[in-house]
Formats: sequence, C-alpha cells, structure tokens
Amino acid sequence: MEVSFHEEIEALRAGDGEIFQGEGILAITKGLLQSGVAYVGGYQGAPVSHLLDVMVQAKPYMDELGVHVEACANEASAAAMLGASIHYPIRGAVTWKSIVGTNVAADALSNLSSPGVTGGVLIVVGEDYGEGASVIQERTHAYALKSGMCLLDPRPELGQMVNMVEHGFRLSEASNMPVMMELRIRTCHVKGQFVCKDNVAPRLSKKNLLQEPASFNYMRLAHPPVTFAQEKRKVEHRLPAARDYIVQHQLNEHFQGTTHADLGLVVQGGLYNTLIRALQQFDLSDAFGVSRLSILVLNVTYPLVPAELTNFCKGKTAVLLLEEGQPEYIEQELALMLRRLDLQTPVHGKDMLPSGGEYTAEVMADGLLKFLDKHRPSAIPESSRNWLQSNAQRRKQVQAMLGAPIPARPPSMCVGCPERPVFSALKLAQETVGPVHVSGDIGCHALATFEPFSVGHSILGYGMSLASRAGVSPLMKRRVLSVMGDGGFWHNGLLTGVQSALFNGDDAVLLIFKNGYTSATGTQDIINTPSEADKDASPDKRQSLAHTSKVIEATLEGLGVKWLRTVHTYEVAHMQATLTEAFTTDFQGLKVIVAEGECQLERQRRIKPWLAQLKASGQRALRVKYGVDEDVCNGDHACIRLSGCPTLTLKDNPDPLKVDPVATVIDGCVGCGLCGENAHAATLCPSFYRAEIVQNPKLTERLFGRLQQAITRFLQPA
Amino acid sequence: MTQPVSILLCALGGEGGGVLANWLIDVARLADCPAQATSIPGVAQRTGATTYYLEIYPIQRTELAGRMPVLGLNPLPGRLDALVSSELLETARQIANGLASNDRTCVISSSSRTLTTAEKMVMGDGRQDDGALMGVIAENSLRHHVLDMARICQETGTLVSAVMLGAIAASGLLPFARAHYESVLAGKSASAKASLRGFEMAFDHVSKQKEQAHYLEKIWSPSFSQSEPLSSEQDNNSNFNAQAQVPKQVLAEFPADMRKVLALAYNRVAQYQGQAYAQLLIERLRKIKQQETDGASNAASCPVTAESTRWLALWMAYDDIIQVAFLKSRAHRWQRVSEEVKLQEGELLKIYDHFKPGVPELAAMLPVSWAQALLKWDKQRIANGKSPWSMPIKLARHSVWGMLSLRFLSLLRVFRPYGHRYITEQALIEEWLSGIGRAFSVSPLLALEVARCGQLIKGYGSTNERGKENLLHILHTVCVPNSAKSVAEQISAVAQIRKAALQDEAGQQLDQALMLHGAPARPIKAQPILWMKNPRLKSNP
Repeated sequence: MEVSFHEEIEALRAGDGEIFQGEGILAITKGLLQSGVAYVGGYQGAPVSHLLDVMVQAKPYMDELGVHVEACANEASAAAMLGASIHYPIRGAVTWKSIVGTNVAADALSNLSSPGVTGGVLIVVGEDYGEGASVIQERTHAYALKSGMCLLDPRPELGQMVNMVEHGFRLSEASNMPVMMELRIRTCHVKGQFVCKDNVAPRLSKKNLLQEPASFNYMRLAHPPVTFAQEKRKVEHRLPAARDYIVQHQLNEHFQGTTHADLGLVVQGGLYNTLIRALQQFDLSDAFGVSRLSILVLNVTYPLVPAELTNFCKGKTAVLLLEEGQPEYIEQELALMLRRLDLQTPVHGKDMLPSGGEYTAEVMADGLLKFLDKHRPSAIPESSRNWLQSNAQRRKQVQAMLGAPIPARPPSMCVGCPERPVFSALKLAQETVGPVHVSGDIGCHALATFEPFSVGHSILGYGMSLASRAGVSPLMKRRVLSVMGDGGFWHNGLLTGVQSALFNGDDAVLLIFKNGYTSATGTQDIINTPSEADKDASPDKRQSLAHTSKVIEATLEGLGVKWLRTVHTYEVAHMQATLTEAFTTDFQGLKVIVAEGECQLERQRRIKPWLAQLKASGQRALRVKYGVDEDVCNGDHACIRLSGCPTLTLKDNPDPLKVDPVATVIDGCVGCGLCGENAHAATLCPSFYRAEIVQNPKLTERLFGRLQQAITRFLQPA
Repeated sequence: MTQPVSILLCALGGEGGGVLANWLIDVARLADCPAQATSIPGVAQRTGATTYYLEIYPIQRTELAGRMPVLGLNPLPGRLDALVSSELLETARQIANGLASNDRTCVISSSSRTLTTAEKMVMGDGRQDDGALMGVIAENSLRHHVLDMARICQETGTLVSAVMLGAIAASGLLPFARAHYESVLAGKSASAKASLRGFEMAFDHVSKQKEQAHYLEKIWSPSFSQSEPLSSEQDNNSNFNAQAQVPKQVLAEFPADMRKVLALAYNRVAQYQGQAYAQLLIERLRKIKQQETDGASNAASCPVTAESTRWLALWMAYDDIIQVAFLKSRAHRWQRVSEEVKLQEGELLKIYDHFKPGVPELAAMLPVSWAQALLKWDKQRIANGKSPWSMPIKLARHSVWGMLSLRFLSLLRVFRPYGHRYITEQALIEEWLSGIGRAFSVSPLLALEVARCGQLIKGYGSTNERGKENLLHILHTVCVPNSAKSVAEQISAVAQIRKAALQDEAGQQLDQALMLHGAPARPIKAQPILWMKNPRLKSNP
C-alpha cells in the first residue's frame, strides 16, 4: 500500500477526552470504532480509500477489539456483506467511492433495504463530485430515495461528523433502514480536530461469536410475496420511525437569524461552512457562524421531516434552498410539502443557483445576491456587488493578457510506470496495422487518454472494457483492442468480459496490465500481488515481481483461453510485435496479452531503502539514469510524443545556431529503460544514452574501469 | 470582524503539498490558533496540478473563550489572502481562475517551470512565455515574491514544500514567529536538516526581496530571438567554439551585426568538413549578399544574408553517422554526462549509446550507384510487407572497443564528400539558395521569408526527409514566379505556411495552410498497408 498509517493507527486508539487531530475520513473511522462496529468492508477509491486502508493496516488493533475487516472484491460484495445485519444485532459499516461504487452495489443495496436491518448499518460513500472528481457527475441521493435508505450529509466539522456516525447507527436500528453517509471530496480531506470518546468493543464479534444461526424467518428474505409487504413497511413504519428519531435527537440544526430572521436558508449539511463564508462576504454572518438570516441545516437529507421544513418556512418572507447537484430532489419535495399545506412562502433554489456543478462560495454568493436582490436589496453592501463583478472582469483581463488558454495539466503515469511502454508500443503497432478502436477502462491506464497518447474510444466502467467491445468488434472490419488493469479484471472484467467473450466465441483482443496492485487508488493489494516472501527473496530489489503470481494466467487458462501471451511491458519491440500478431492472426476467438510489469511506486518503496543501505554499507550498487545529448538532439520531440514521461522534458538549446528547445532528462529519472527501448523500437534520433553509475565498485572492476578510461581518454577528441 | 487568513497552495502531485499543509496546521496549533486545511487530490493523481486550501484564524483560542470560527473549504476568488505556488504556470492558472486580486492577495510563486505535456510535445517550441506569466502575477497581486524554488531545492537537497514554508514564513502573512515554523521542521534526520536549509534559504530570499527584483530585470530585458544578436551566455559556451577561426578579411566583408553568427557558422562547417568546405559556405553567403546589396560592398546590414547564414551552416553541417560518432566520442561530452548524473568521487561511470542505423543512414556514406541499389533493396523489402532493415546497437562508450568504433566512424569524414547524401544535400542547398535568389527579384522581404524556410531542415531520418520535402514543396508551389498574387500576399503566405509546417508530424496543418493560400496540398505518398485478416467476411461475403 502506498501510504503508511502508523501514526493514524495510534490516533484510532485515543480514549475519552483525548483530542483527535487529523483527516475527516479518519475521524469517521474513529467514529465507527466509538460506535461499536463489528464488521467493516468496502472497496478503495478516492476520496474514501483511507478508511479501509487504515483499518487493514490496523489489523492487530482490530483483532484486539474483535472487529472483522474485509477488503472486498468490489462494491457489490461489500454491500452484500451488510446482509449480516438483517438477522443479527450487529453493527456493520462499508465504504466506497460514489456514484460508481453505489452503482456496482445497487443490487445488493436493494435486496438489503427491502427486508430492512436489525443491526445498525452505515454506508460511507465518498461523493466524488465537483473539482477533483474523477467520475461521472451524478447524485448518490437517488439511491437513498429509490431503495429507502437514510442519507446523512453532516456539517463538515469533525465533531459533528463523528456525532452523525454514532447517530447513524442508532437511526438505522430505530428505523430498520440502512443509513448512507455522503462525504464530499473536501470533507473527506478536511484536517481538523475533535474530542474523542472511548472505543467500544462490539458485543458480538470475532472474540465473542454468534452461538446459533437465527431461526428461519421468511419476512427477512427479499423474495416474493413478502417483498410487497416490505414495500408497505418502508412507507408506513420505517420512514415515520426515522423521522421520529431525527426530530427527537435534533439531527437537523436550526439557527435563528438575528436581523433578517424572516429570510430563510435551507442547506445540505455538507455545504454549511461554504454558505457561512459566502454570507460573510455580504456582512450577513460573523466569523463564528452567527447569521443575520435564519438557517436550517439538513444533516439528514433523506428522509426529510415535513413538519420541520414547513415550520421553518411558515411566516418567512422567502426561503432559498441550497442543494448541490441535479435533479433537485429536496427542492421538489419541499415545494410539494408547501403546496399541500397551501403555504405561500416563496421558495427559491435552482431558479437562482445553477443546476449542475459544485456549490463553491462564489456560486453561492451569486445565488445569494439574486435572492437578496429580490427580497431584501437593502441588505446587500455595495462592496459585495463590486466583488462579484470584479471577479468576472479580472478573469477576462487575465485571459486577454495570456492570449491563449493555459495548457491543462492532467495527472499522468508516474516516472517509470510500467504501463507507459505499452502505449508506446500500441502507437507504433498502429503505424503498420492502421488505427484501432480501443475500448478503455478505469485505472492508471486511463491516463493514456491524455496527451501524448490520446488513446481510448470509450470507458464504460471499472473492468468493463472487454464487455463494452461486444457490440463494436462484430461489426468492425479491424479487430478491437480492450485494455484492462488487473484491478479491473478482478473487480468485474473476469466475468462480464472474459467469460462472456469466451461463451459467445467472440473474436476479441484483451490486454491486461498485470502490475500487481490496484494502483490508481493507492496501490492496495489484490489476489495477484507479489507475496512478502517473494519480495524478501528477490536478490535484486529493482526487479519487477509481477511475474511471481500466475493467478491471472491460471484463471484464464482454466476458463479456456487458448491464445495467451505474457510480455514484459518494457520490451517495447516485443510488445509491438505481439499486438500486431493479435490484430492480424488467423486465430478466431479471445486473444489475451498479459502485459507484465510491477507498479513502479511499489518497486521504489523497495529500491530506495535497499540502494541506500547498499551504499551505506560499502557494497556495490548500481544507479541508472537516462540522458539526451544536447548537441545530437534534433529538437523534434518525437521521443516525448512517444513517452510523456515527466522526467523527459525540454530545455533551451545550448547551440547558439539552433532555436528549438532540446529534450533533456531531469533528476527523478528512475532508469526504467523506456527511452532506450523507444529509441530502438521507433528509430528515434541517436541522442539517447543510458548512464550506469557504479557505487562502491569492487577492486577488479575499479582497476579495469581505470584502465579503460585511460585508453579512451587518449583516444577521444576534445 | 476578524476574518480567517485564507491560503491556496498549488503544487504538482508528488511534490509534498499535503506535507506543507500539515506543517502549516501544526504551526497554527503551536501558536494556538484555529486552523483547517483541505485538498482535492485523489490518492494517486501524480504530476497533475492540485491545490490545498487552508484557513487560519489569526486569534488565539484562549482569547476566543470557547467560540470556534466556521472555516471554509473553498477559496473565495478575489478574497484570497495568499496564493502560494511551486510552479509558475500553476500560479497563472489560479490567477486566471480569478482567485488572486491586486487589492488583497500576496502571491508567492516559484519562477521555475515544469513543462506540461502539451507544451513539450510540440515539434518546435511550444513553451509558454514566462514574461506573460510574470506579467499576470504583477497585475493581480497586492504584493508578490517570485523566487526560483527549483534551484533552492537543488542547492539545499530538499523538497519544495520546505522552501514554500520558508517563503510563507518570511512573507509575514501569518502572525507566527519564525521559531514556530522551524520547530515543525526540526528533527535529527538528514531530510529534516535539508528541510531546514531549504526553509532558511527561501526565508532569506523573500526577506531580502532581491530575487524578485533580479528576476524582473531578467524578464523585462529583451529576449533572444532569431534576428537579434546572440546572447553572451550562449556565446561563451565552449562546446560551440571550435578552434578554426574565420579569417579577419572575410569577416570584414560582411556587416558588423552578423559577424558573430558568421563566426559560429564558419566554425561549425569547418569542424564538420574542413576549411575548404567552410570556404564554400562563405562563397554561398557572398552570392546572397551580392544579390541583396546589388553589388554595393559596404551595406550597413544584410538581413537576408544574416538569416541565411544560420540555416545554411546547419544544413551544410547536416547530421549523419559520422558527425554523431564524433559528438558522442568527445571528451567534453563525457564531462557533461558526468555532471548530469552527479558522478561522485570513487564512482564508476558507464555510458551506453542507443543507435539504430537503417539503410538510408548507411547508403548516405556510399557512392551514388551503390546507395541507390541498397535503397532499392530496402524499398522492395518494405513492399513485401517486411519492416525496413535496421540494426539496433547499444554501444558502450566507456569501453575501448566502443571508443574505437566511434573514432573509426568519425574518421570516415574524409570519404563523406563522395557519399550519396553529400551530393544530394548540396543539390538541395543550391535549389534553396536559387529560390532565395529568385525571390529577390520579387522583393527582399520575400527573400527573407524564403531564407527563413531553412528552419524546416533539421534532424535525422524521417524528420529530416519531411523537412526537405516541405521546403521543396514551398519552393515549387508557393514561390512560383509570375504568381498572380500581390507581393505582400506572397510574403505572408510563405511565412504562414512555414509556421504550419512546424506544427504536426502528419502535416495536416501544413496542408490546410497550403490550400488556404491557393497552393496544392502535398502529394499523397505510397505507403504499404498491413491488411488485417478477417475470416468472418470470407464465410459471409
């Protein structure tokens, strides 16, 4: 795993009255332990990876408490795990990235929500929405509505977030509904502090086992005919029970306004801080959140409590609802509530705020301006109006000064990434076989969609690349390539892609990146991760160990894949030839290329300490760096268009006669060898060299080296 | 009302932006001020642009009597107190987003650039202009500190996060003492010491504000461009000052403002193929000068001759195996690589050079008839569906054998003038020069544009071939005599087409530019195609 959580694990042990300092998502983790959670599962993905990662690393402490932690194969298996709470009074929590993870989990969630739960269930979802998001922009809210799950959206203050975790379990038990907690990206990463409580060891746990299975109870199955009764229970019993709990424990917060109490703002809890900062720009709130307008903070966004909302709106001059994303479910429901009671308070929302996109402070301020303009123009200081106008002007001015738009800087594959050479090879292979339709997938290789490769026609979901070709390849003259990571292969691709292609006898080409980890989410281990024993046993720590596990190959062979090639990714010419063969062979059926090369991040974690130790102890060590001869480089930059490595960049041409910048390899090069491979595979200009620096050379090597140097020095021109 | 101090940190993935945010939170905690940080990075989004946002409430908790400020998670455009960035383009990006304003924001930025892929992959020079980026900072900040953070990192052996912390500390933005900052960095490890060194250097830089003034001077001074005199920095580069010197009386024939470039050109060509070849360069330049000045001997400046000098010298000293072998074997080069890899005392350096000569490279050195036979053989191979013949070589420059090979190859210089390529290149050079001559009859400005087309010739192999084909196409189709177009139109057409030719490998932009100016697109070249077999189609015709 990429991050070590040594300190955070210590923080998880904090007891009553101690101050926890750290990241939002880790505070949530602490909240789970304070709530006596008995089992935790999930699937990694930003922004919630840390929750599961820290728990996996904290295994000894979890064992001490008796908490079971499972790194699930995908979100569906995580959601299914919650089935334990249907019969048994045990609390369970799972986590994943949403919306994508919730989509994968949806079937199990429906089947969990229908019978309902006995033990409290909390689903912590990272709402990957707005700036920094990496998935399609949709709301998790829809799932809460359709399946009948409570949805928490706590105010982004660590104490309140932990508080809502504890309430979440109780709310789940009081209503028999699973409870979801949505955390936005910035909330997961927020750094703050809160006062801890003692952790609670679960009553039923790995240390205190369930003695007998529950007795058979058809009502607990999601199976007809009881599903009809269950639907009724959702509406008639569970929702009212949830509303009662919410009201009784005042989970939603009502802040009475000071000078403009008749103007109301209803806001999702997660947006509260941003709203206060926006109000401050109108002098309508002080630094501590004391607002001149009345605010209703919805820490629970589903179910809404009609009485709470209608009471808030009653007697108000106007109300503005700040609800991020679309469709505006809360706004629709609020309008309906008021209509039913024939309350005429004007309600604004998406008419003054944008339908789509993140609600930043500026977006909210724009909406507030419209709201106040209509209902209390006297409350708008001139400076606020000027501020908003000047922002727009300034952007225009800067754009004019710069002329062209600033080039984007998307993330790219790491220095030494074993996936980069495959895309170099693919680019070269297409020079002979012509352009190929490439169905892409989720993972580090998705970064090949950016320059310089710009590869990939579609991305239909994690592990879906082979399945998403099924409609294309039978209708296309040339063969279609599907790329998939080993993470995606295990998450979904094996069944939806490989099994389906084999069963249908499809003529398809699949390339699997076997780097040994789910790297894009933080290099979590998977079933084909090199074992610790293999890592210890390898004498040269630089070596890729991806080949030590043959699980993928064995699985494919077992399923009946007949055309299977394993190629080391750094052999660009070999990869190019293998791709060309796959595209042109007479063989009909599924062709799989396993592109083998261990994740560079994980390799560097071994290499750096190893090299330092070799150097320090006086043993022979080899350092490798590639370089470009500045006087040989032709300034054409074809090498960059074929690699995109961050350490292969440009510098001014030192030759006063030439004008174009030359390529250069900067510090940080890990000597992966791609530059040399590309120079050969693609016939690049002869400016690349490989420099090997031998530290602590042995005596014979040193003497021989000196002799060679003496002779070459004599031979070389100035 | 006291507002929180808001800080936006811009960093590239993997630079330690998160570490910096943590340090600032720790400093605030030591000073007992409420603080909050957040960020948008995914777990593994490396090398991409990312930001961290902090709000620090500048009043101690003890004075707040239990009241806690509500701190924000999003920066407020135009109301930001500080924009701190480790990369110049990223600073400009956030300013373009509207975040910094000249009535409030202190901008602390590195002057160093980490080029984006989009800038790097351009065939010519796609880099953003640093001057414009600096201008954006100056216009949109209350005050700014610009320092070369990359250099400070290198000099002190630390990461940029410590340097940024030093700059923030020195800026006086936050009500914390230097000791507060230093205590969060303190530690016994080597990396902690390096962090402190980086912190100190940045602190001093910002305190003195010298760097800023210095940088501005550099930025506002006129930059080097094609038609301007060469900068002294490049002039002093020993690598490009070969021994052969141009005779004084020859120099005197040409206007003073082009003597520097002439000397460089002369030396380049003399080193390449001897004094007689350098004389040929001078002869060719004399001819252009005569056309330009119409015989007058003491013209003050000859822009076309000056422009031609650079490109003519580079073309005459075209890159081939012989030249590359010479460059790779030089002592100077061994020295440069040793420095680049930071070779330490007692370490051993091995250099392996990657070559992949193909048939054209070998044919270049053979007499015309042999070369043609060899090229024909290779063409036949390609037509039969095989890949062009070539030989990947990894040559050990540090070994005696490797050095002997390189020396042998560079000694083939004496046979160069009898080779196929030399003869071809000379003919093409003459064609270009006569193109310049013809253009003079239309306008000296058109001649200047045609001279500038020499820029298209560069590199090896296919790059070089493409450049020559493009140049010839321009000469044959755009600069035709008796063109129906006006002189001004002809001049701008050549200029625009030349620029388009440097845009993309496939030449799509070039073709568009050609057609836009009424010239035919380049002829389509025959290219072997590898057919994908598809038995499904056979069974179902």
